[in-house]
Amino acid sequence: MSETLIGLVSNYSPSGQERGAVEWLVARMKALGYDDALIDGAGNAVGVMGSGPRQVVLLGHIDTVPGEIPVRVERDNISLYGRGSVDAKGPLACFTDTVAQVGAVEGWQFVVIGAVEEERDSDGARFIVDKYRPDFLIVGEPNRWDRVALGYKGSAWAEITVKREQTHTASGEQTAAEAAVEAWLAVKAFAEAFNADKTRAFDKILPTLRGMESGQDGFEQWARLKVGVRLPVEMNPGQWYLEMEKTLQVLETCKVSVERVGYPVPAWSCEKNSQLVRAMLSGIRSQGGTPSFVYKTGTADLNIVAPIWQCPAVVYGPGDSALDHTPNEHISLDEYAKAVDALAAVLRKLVTPSA
Amino acid sequence: MNTVSCPECAAEITLEANAEVGEIIVCPDCGVDLEVISLNPAEVDLAPMEQEDWGE
Repeated sequence: MSETLIGLVSNYSPSGQERGAVEWLVARMKALGYDDALIDGAGNAVGVMGSGPRQVVLLGHIDTVPGEIPVRVERDNISLYGRGSVDAKGPLACFTDTVAQVGAVEGWQFVVIGAVEEERDSDGARFIVDKYRPDFLIVGEPNRWDRVALGYKGSAWAEITVKREQTHTASGEQTAAEAAVEAWLAVKAFAEAFNADKTRAFDKILPTLRGMESGQDGFEQWARLKVGVRLPVEMNPGQWYLEMEKTLQVLETCKVSVERVGYPVPAWSCEKNSQLVRAMLSGIRSQGGTPSFVYKTGTADLNIVAPIWQCPAVVYGPGDSALDHTPNEHISLDEYAKAVDALAAVLRKLVTPSA
Repeated sequence: MNTVSCPECAAEITLEANAEVGEIIVCPDCGVDLEVISLNPAEVDLAPMEQEDWGE
């Protein structure tokens, strides 16, 4: 059962260097009896089982953060160590083995995707949004085998630049650097006011100051802040940028600009009352688990595809996300096996609801 | 008619005719999430716990 997992983890694939792992996974899918396995135009690994017309997409990611960890099984064959064993080759291998175990089902098509670049700009997920229109979506991220993740926060980046005319240091006037500090405090105050009546982190605006620099020449002073934010469903990135611009208009002595940086991603919350969620609860219980729901403060490829596909969706996968991106990343092989069996029960329930 | 009692506040709740096993409903009295465990006989339990977690 662990061959797919160990093989995938053994092919080190930080973002931008996924090709070897993708080729390995495609070959593995073929060996497991998938009807088709290929590398798509973005470099994603894609395995197809069955011909539809109804479709379940199981979307994992094959890239990892950098930092190679020697791949090894430790503690009496209990744990597999290696970069990506948790985030998120564990869930992707789980999808691959599960679909192989369930096999082809008449009227249905299972598509397993190992997307590239999730840890950077999600190029792999962005490529597939107009290639599929699934009836159900399961995204692979580590949340423990007995939990179903229903929501991931959005994220956005901005550079706030504050400029003003040069002044004499003895003038006592506010400097651009001082105004930048004031700008950050205003952003924080806006978030705190918004969060005042919210109890869940999932519902809050969580801004972070990620960098600051300043400078001057004979005519002008400037200061720049790099601000990241984790956003709730209630505040999409477009609204956030507008709110920041409005909030920062209060700085009277300086010219303030808010530049949008990178790809902003909206938060997404999955419908709890769906056939898919019911199948998940049933599948986890079938393996002796007590299911629970989880909402995450991070962002996943769910946020890219779910708003477009608008189908019932969940995020699932074995592994402890507290180990994401750490030098101690490892996964329990027992948990992995349970997740495969639970997910196989989910797919069977989904495609034959009376099962 | 499928009538159940909320395990949290004991309010009497009538399930919809098209209720399904696994469906999550909200107790109209105390607002707690409940899961339909069975239909014959009608039975509900507290819905799976909601947690929060960081991580991608």
